[in-house]
Amino acid sequence: MFITPFTHHRPAGLHSVFDILAKYGDDAAVYAGGTELLLALKARVLRYEHLIDLKRVKELGGVRVENDFIGIGALATHYRIANDPVVLASIPEYASLSDGIANIRVRVAGTLAGNLSFAEPHSDPPALLAAMGATVQLVSADSERSVPVSEFIAGEFTTMREDNELISEVRVPVTQPNEAFRFRSFGHLERPAVNVAVGCKNDDGKTAFRIWLGAIGDHPIHAEKVETALRGVPRASLRDVLPAATEEFTSGLSATSDLHGSADYKRHLASVLMQRAVNEAAESASSKES
Amino acid sequence: MTDLHAHTPISDHLEKVTGRAEFISDVVVPGMLHGKILRSTVPHGIIKKIDTSAALAMPGVVAVLTGADVAQLNNHWGPSLKDRPLIAIDRVRYVGEPVAMVAAEDERTAEEALELIDVEYELLPYVTGAEEALAEGAPVIHAKPEALKDFYFKGEAKPVPGTNIFQKYAYEHGDVEKAFAGADRCFEGRFEFPMVFHYAMEPHCVIASFHNEGLTLWSCGQSPTAVQKVLSRVFEMPLARIRIISPYVGGGFGGKASVKIDPLVAALAWKVRRPVRVCLSISETMLTARRLSATVDVKTGVRNDGTIVAKSVRILMNGGAYADTGPAIAVKAANRAIGPYRIPNLKLESVAVYTNTVPGAAFRSIGGPQAVWASESQMDEIASALDIDPVELRSRNILRCGEHVRPDLRPIDVEMAEAMDIALKEMTKLQSLDADAKTFGGTALGISDPGIMPVASVLMRLKIDGSVAVVSNSVEIGQGVREVLRKLASEQLNQPMHAIEVLTPDTAIAPFDWGTAASRSSLMMGLAIEDAAKDIRKQIADIAAIVFSAEPSAVRLCEGGVMIGNEKKTFNELLHSYYGIDSGEIVALGRVSPHSNGGRLAQAPLFWETAAGRCGIIADVETGEVKVKHYVSVADVGRALNRAGAEGQDEGASIMGLGHTLSEELIYEDGQPINATMIDYHVPTIDEVPENFVTVLIESGTGPGPGGMRGMGEGAILPVAPAIANALATGYGIRIRELPITPERVWRALRDKRKV
Ligand SMILES: Cc1cc2nc3c(=O)[nH]c(=O)nc-3n(C[C@H](O)[C@H](O)[C@H](O)COP(=O)(O)OP(=O)(O)OC[C@H]3O[C@@H](n4cnc5c(N)ncnc54)[C@H](O)[C@@H]3O)c2cc1C
Repeated sequence: MFITPFTHHRPAGLHSVFDILAKYGDDAAVYAGGTELLLALKARVLRYEHLIDLKRVKELGGVRVENDFIGIGALATHYRIANDPVVLASIPEYASLSDGIANIRVRVAGTLAGNLSFAEPHSDPPALLAAMGATVQLVSADSERSVPVSEFIAGEFTTMREDNELISEVRVPVTQPNEAFRFRSFGHLERPAVNVAVGCKNDDGKTAFRIWLGAIGDHPIHAEKVETALRGVPRASLRDVLPAATEEFTSGLSATSDLHGSADYKRHLASVLMQRAVNEAAESASSKES
Repeated sequence: MTDLHAHTPISDHLEKVTGRAEFISDVVVPGMLHGKILRSTVPHGIIKKIDTSAALAMPGVVAVLTGADVAQLNNHWGPSLKDRPLIAIDRVRYVGEPVAMVAAEDERTAEEALELIDVEYELLPYVTGAEEALAEGAPVIHAKPEALKDFYFKGEAKPVPGTNIFQKYAYEHGDVEKAFAGADRCFEGRFEFPMVFHYAMEPHCVIASFHNEGLTLWSCGQSPTAVQKVLSRVFEMPLARIRIISPYVGGGFGGKASVKIDPLVAALAWKVRRPVRVCLSISETMLTARRLSATVDVKTGVRNDGTIVAKSVRILMNGGAYADTGPAIAVKAANRAIGPYRIPNLKLESVAVYTNTVPGAAFRSIGGPQAVWASESQMDEIASALDIDPVELRSRNILRCGEHVRPDLRPIDVEMAEAMDIALKEMTKLQSLDADAKTFGGTALGISDPGIMPVASVLMRLKIDGSVAVVSNSVEIGQGVREVLRKLASEQLNQPMHAIEVLTPDTAIAPFDWGTAASRSSLMMGLAIEDAAKDIRKQIADIAAIVFSAEPSAVRLCEGGVMIGNEKKTFNELLHSYYGIDSGEIVALGRVSPHSNGGRLAQAPLFWETAAGRCGIIADVETGEVKVKHYVSVADVGRALNRAGAEGQDEGASIMGLGHTLSEELIYEDGQPINATMIDYHVPTIDEVPENFVTVLIESGTGPGPGGMRGMGEGAILPVAPAIANALATGYGIRIRELPITPERVWRALRDKRKV
């Protein structure tokens, strides 16, 4: 179907975006790649009288390096992120995740900010970004705040973003020499059924894991119990502890049955992917040390 | 694999890669309006009221068509059963059925206007599953559908009035029950095949225009003459006043075979008396046609040495809201369940039923994948139980060329054992090249009796300058038929490829042909071109006799003209002398009928289309994911007229088969299709194509066409699913009997196996 008639705005600066948003309120929406929004508009599950194209807003572009984080501008596409030398060097697992999202047509147009804002549960970035400790920068006409990705997604298609706010940037801490991340995603349709992100940090021989699950629920899930169970376990003994820990954790997870799979299968996948990602992250972290 | 120097550029490729090729959506007819369709949101209901006033009041809207408008027309049609209204009249029978249609000055306005149409339904009980449709007390979707005899296919459907059964078919030879009783072992199994979508890249698109000379349609139909016939009945117009033009079509696979949206578009054009264009979206196409899902029960009785003594097959097919070509599909499914084996006692039964779902329709090898999925899976189950190698079990039962599949059908005309053997050898080679990745192999064979009506004709016009126009109704749907016609004409007339022009099909000038489907066009047109060329040679010899006093038997066609003995005359010299002016042509009609070639084409099938497939797979036992690393597809095509094109067809059919094997399935919940979008319905992409894919085309020269060719393009889809399921059984000890083989199904099967 065609999108219902709308007025198109192409502001060049953030201020004009906020002006337009203030003027039209609920009747207006911003978009970047349009890969989510346009589909929803064409299916007519969403309707807006005003569409604001963000692609010319200079403040939102680019990928920048700060001392300890990488700032991914709201207009950075998955393709750009996957191929950016700085991203590849500083947060390699995130670059690799970006390279595996959707298909090339979606990657060259779709942005990370669009993905997070839309908050479709069957997504890849949130779990890994949560595990990496990334934050979302939210700007409004007169304020700016920072929300951890782990808290940003509130539920299916809902986030902590206020209507008068935009994502300006996603800040991802640079992966340290003594840490490694692994992301594993699985699904047989276009989008992931379940994914798992694991961070492993070696501090003087002591390993600590950060483990997040994505897509299985309506927001990223922190597998703290598994982290606790693995704390201090030497790498060689992981295999003894891991299956029980992941199975116990995932058996209590609430999951929904849908086209991507039944709830029990998804819980099983979560456990399998967690074991794989933990082992790989641990291995990678230890090889970095030596 | 392909020798790039071996072939001249393919006819339509340059046009297509430069974007100049004209598809229907590119055609602009002066004054044309744009039509959009409002579709039923309920699976089964009575239309209580349709309010179109607000839509009609919208600027730019020219007309709205509803069931009330078509009362005066002969408003029901169908290729087999006259069960389908032009547009919903008093009731709707599936979600997606056209209920109203807007014609407007542009597409956007038409679509906006749809939202202003108000439809009130009284809901009726519905059924979406075939078993449910058979159950006592199930809502009857069509009380008494009228069967049309010899309308499109030969024969007629056998609906059971008062039930949802629209086709019943049975066949038997020998005494199956007795043979089962005497068998050492009997194997029984039920296999499920899902509803799948054709996914041609181009959705359906039609332009219809009524004018002084009658009705012209630019149609995406694969069977222009069937479209013409249905329109002639609906509008009670002579066939000669209806003209169907078939520009390039972006894929069909059966989804555009027989007749689909043409009558609907024509009805809107009839109402507004202006040309109307309708182009569906891909999601609408998903609500237009799909493959029939099937439940197949197979029982096979064998001796301990693996010899088959009897087999019985019962197929229940879900045909959707309208029968379409379903009756023929049910018959073919039964035949295609037999397999290339000696079966002394055989019983086949198939039943196709109406349900409140998207109408089932022909799809690449009609009924074949459903049937072969069951039969070839069971062959491996038998092998495993008897501890015989699956290939060996097949060998022990395999039909030799010339033996009967069924006594009343043409004997099988290929050596299936040879194809199976090649598939095995090629796979062993692939597996040894990639020894690290331990893949498991699975074999399956498929044979099908293409439903070819030996009814075709072609017009060839040899012009004075030596150029030749080939005029036929074979539609170029991406399969490369234009190139094949060019090659055949070039060969038969001994003229260079560049001298041959294959025209866009147009029923106003092209003679009758049954349709572009069932692996038939190259063969049918090949025979017709052979016939026409014979006539051209005769006419030329007669002319040469008149103008050059040549002995007719001494006249031979050569490039650009004729050799009379050792002397060359150009066509120009010949025809100029004959007509007295420097103009003119020779026209010949080539015809194929059941009486052609001394009646040799009358017996069904005209040839057997066959395929041997072998896969090499790896499964991830934890996630259940199956990866097809290698695939080998082998078929005896008699002769490959256009090798690159034929290989492409073979590969395409196999990859299409991967879809229903691993991920494709249209799912219904509460009467609604819940994944009828290209995001939720996963068609294989390049990522799923096996790393190594080998096609072997055997050129035995044993087909009925020119140079011993036979048709191809469908067969390779047959073995894919059972080959993969068989590999899973061999490698991982699980037998999956329900398609698609999703990772979850594999995981469940592995888990259940561990439990026992
Ligand atoms: C076929 C397909 C397959 C896909 N597969 C995957 C997959 O495998 N894994 C995965 O993770 N994702 C997948 N996706 C989702 C994909 O990642 C998103 O579509 C894409 O990232 C969205 O970015 P966009 O710029 O196109 O968003 P848009 O469509 O432009 O916008 C999406 C939403 O975000 C809002 N928005 C955009 N930018 C901002 C901003 N700066 N501030 C506030 N709000 C904003 C818009 O208003 C809109 O509501 C898939 C999508 C498609 C279409």
